[in-house]
Amino acid sequence: MEKDNKGINRRRFLESSALASIGLLGVSAFISGCKKEISSKELGLPPILKGAPKGKKLRAGLVGTGNRGTGAAMNFISCGPDLHIVALADAFQDKIDSCRERFAKMKVDIPTENCFVGFDGYKKLMAIPDIDVVILATPPQFRPEHFKEAVLQNKHVFMEKPVAVDPVGIRSVIASGKKAQAIGLNVVTGTQRRHQQDYIETYQQVANGAIGKPVAARAFWNQNHVWFRTREEGWDDMTYMIRNWNNFCWLCGDHILDTHIHNIDVINWFLGRPPISAVGYGGRARRITGDQYDYFSVDFDYGDGVFSHSMCREIDNCANNTGEFIMGTEGYTNCVNTIWNMDGTVKWKFEYPKDENGNETNQLKIPAYVQEHMHLVHSIRTGGYVNQAEETALSTLTAIMGRTSAYTGKKITWDEIYKSDMDLGPQVIEFGPVDMQFEVPIPGTEHKG
Amino acid sequence: MKIAMKIWKSICTKFASKKTLFGVITFGMILGLFSMFAGSKAVKYTSTDEYCSSCHVHPHAEQSWKLSTHHNTKSGVVVHCVECHLPPEGHGMLLAKAKLGAKDLYGYCFKDSSKFKWAEKRKLENAKKYITTESCTKCHQNLFPKTLSVKGENAHLSYVSNPSEVSCLNCHLNVGHFDPNNKHEHDTNFGVTATKSTQVFTESTPVTSFANFTEKIPGTSVSFEMVAIPEGEFMMGSTKDEALRKPDEGPVHPVKVSRFFMAKIEVSWEEYLEFFKATSSQGRKEAEKNADVDAISGPTPPWGAPDQGWGKGTRPAITMTWKSANVYCQWLSKVTGKKYRLPTEAEWEYAARGGSKTPYFFAGDAKKYTSEGFFKKVLGRDTTVIQSYVAYKENSPSQTIEPGMVKANPFGLKNMLGNVYEFCSDWYSPKAYQAYKNLVVDPQGPKKGKEHVIRGGSFKSDAKDVRCAARDFTKSQAWLVTDPQMPKSVWWYSDCVDIGFRVVCEADENVK
Repeated sequence: MEKDNKGINRRRFLESSALASIGLLGVSAFISGCKKEISSKELGLPPILKGAPKGKKLRAGLVGTGNRGTGAAMNFISCGPDLHIVALADAFQDKIDSCRERFAKMKVDIPTENCFVGFDGYKKLMAIPDIDVVILATPPQFRPEHFKEAVLQNKHVFMEKPVAVDPVGIRSVIASGKKAQAIGLNVVTGTQRRHQQDYIETYQQVANGAIGKPVAARAFWNQNHVWFRTREEGWDDMTYMIRNWNNFCWLCGDHILDTHIHNIDVINWFLGRPPISAVGYGGRARRITGDQYDYFSVDFDYGDGVFSHSMCREIDNCANNTGEFIMGTEGYTNCVNTIWNMDGTVKWKFEYPKDENGNETNQLKIPAYVQEHMHLVHSIRTGGYVNQAEETALSTLTAIMGRTSAYTGKKITWDEIYKSDMDLGPQVIEFGPVDMQFEVPIPGTEHKG
Repeated sequence: MKIAMKIWKSICTKFASKKTLFGVITFGMILGLFSMFAGSKAVKYTSTDEYCSSCHVHPHAEQSWKLSTHHNTKSGVVVHCVECHLPPEGHGMLLAKAKLGAKDLYGYCFKDSSKFKWAEKRKLENAKKYITTESCTKCHQNLFPKTLSVKGENAHLSYVSNPSEVSCLNCHLNVGHFDPNNKHEHDTNFGVTATKSTQVFTESTPVTSFANFTEKIPGTSVSFEMVAIPEGEFMMGSTKDEALRKPDEGPVHPVKVSRFFMAKIEVSWEEYLEFFKATSSQGRKEAEKNADVDAISGPTPPWGAPDQGWGKGTRPAITMTWKSANVYCQWLSKVTGKKYRLPTEAEWEYAARGGSKTPYFFAGDAKKYTSEGFFKKVLGRDTTVIQSYVAYKENSPSQTIEPGMVKANPFGLKNMLGNVYEFCSDWYSPKAYQAYKNLVVDPQGPKKGKEHVIRGGSFKSDAKDVRCAARDFTKSQAWLVTDPQMPKSVWWYSDCVDIGFRVVCEADENVK
């Protein structure tokens, strides 16, 4: 009952303060006669920090100790004082060993009893009561399950994108995110553009009307081929697939999720909503292993006459580029640092820090990979709250909608994909033979993905 | 102003002296002030459980509340009557209290409480009138507690993404008043425990001549009667002067229908359950595999009880989707070797009329029988005839009836009108009849559409909606609002309890 009263008082307070601020806004608008700039706080933008604040000791456990996981863990401990990596979990012993060695070189010792190998390693790691934060960096197939357990065990979470590979996983992540919110657990995701100062300031410009009303968008991630592993002697089906996870849809979700999600997420962020439907093309031309595509081209319909053309490719010797673009009624932007007028003249440009000679550099002092961890630690230590689970789940789902449209050749609506029962993983995850078909999708025919 | 002065003067003259008048006014003011303070006391007093139960004496209300999860709680917290039955303060509590209070008082003084249909009032559509979402969310502030299951997550995500369409009650209907018959789960045993008779038919009934026959479903002990409907011509639809008709029933046009067989009654639970047992496998625990019909995959286990606890047997099977009804016909065709299907809309109306040209196949019109309108309610009317043929709003106990309770139409068919709506194979269009200019033979309806035609009205319908020409259509979205699954069921409607169907069998060239 006490809780209820608090809730009501809080609501009343919010109501009255909202009324007061509306009144103030009215007055100031009347006096100045012009639009008031919307602050970064009102826009829900993260703080730009030089380092995570001091505070209670935070111990993190890393789940998924590959390159990205190890990198994320290092980003975490380097972002502020008294931050520690104390436990590791991975499906493979050799991955744990190499991660431990890298930390040992930095004089960070992770005790053997805190290293858990196997598919259930994450559960053992999260059962350690001293651990405050978990970093989830396994292939995305496992993310929903890991995130769910993290919330059950009251851990703050940093998790890599994409956050799932299918709609069943997406809904699980959204629900776990809401459960985390209900008990005050912070969640930051690896869509690092949302923590990049140049993007953030460009967003603020656009939100304040710098390009007028957005009318069209583009997003692209075209690059050379990425890594793959061929099967080695002695590897069973599961071992092979997990070691080559980046090439199997049920583990990776295809590269439209793996990498292009960054650009798709920026468009969703700037337009303020996910699309209502997608029609896409795609195909496989040069891949050697797995069941995924080499290229996608998707037309996302955001409603109200706004479309975004999304493309991604992993083929050598082609036109490569990565980025976003939004056209507005009064100008356009590359979303990262520049806004142009309709006549092509520069309207606004983000100022990057200067080097020792006073020349402008082209990058931020603190990489976004570190900035996102600063935000997480800042939120935990100061009580400012952050939870990106749902927004990143919705961007991942946007990519899934595009993927399914390309795989099947059909138009896919948001409602369909949100409510879909698509579940790409096998019923049981264990080492040994796996009874699964790996046909490359052919548009115009049904496909599981 | 003049009038006001007059009244004032007349009041003044009523009192002997100004002093008395002053006294009366002062007394009135004190009384007013007192009543203002007493008001909040009165609201409190009239909001206690004891006060509620002083009139709400029907014992099940209190008993079922005490057994419910809102009284018998783990934490010992008891949720009182008004906490659910009135919106919380700030959400129109006083107004709702005044309205409900007046209604209760009226009911107490002028109505016979023994005649209240309590079961009816507890149905979702009526319960929504008495419980606001705010009453629930005032206490249930966290829709995503850590303990929420995956099914619960899906259901609550579906709610938060569309709070105007679904209310808490859609899924949590019986949390305030316990109902032992309502189970909040998939009924994996549904239909499994149907009684087994010793006689099992090995083959279907051979049909060589065009006459009524009794079909036997091979491999089961279930049979049902089929009526031979001779070919003929009739005027389909209703004329503009037919009482209480709707525009989609016109224009009236001549239709010729080839001969066919039609089931005497709506597909019953005992028939439908054989199909369910033979074809459903998905999600069932240890699917009962039947090699003969493995090609047809049928319904998944339903949520709760699709028969609504009204009983099965010869009562019409209900709440299945149009798709499900169609798959039933495919299955029935397969096991009997005949051509069973849903009737076309033309076949349905031709059979329902049984040669009659009047609004009903018996005497009388909708104006005579309808209960809508003030005077109808007050004056009453003679509904003896319609009541003998049709199960509709007036005579049904708010649920389906067994076919024995009504008389047949001229063709010998029962419950064509009333009981449950029946699926037709046609797509629905309000302008469907405008396509037919001259005599049309065996029309199939529009080529495309979104919803299918349903016919005949139901036990919920007013007399005007059980006329032979009355048309209606499926409401796919509205009938699945409650279904918490993602994606929603393609086999069972969660929000329609008065839909069923009737099969027809084609009379092919082998039938003489």
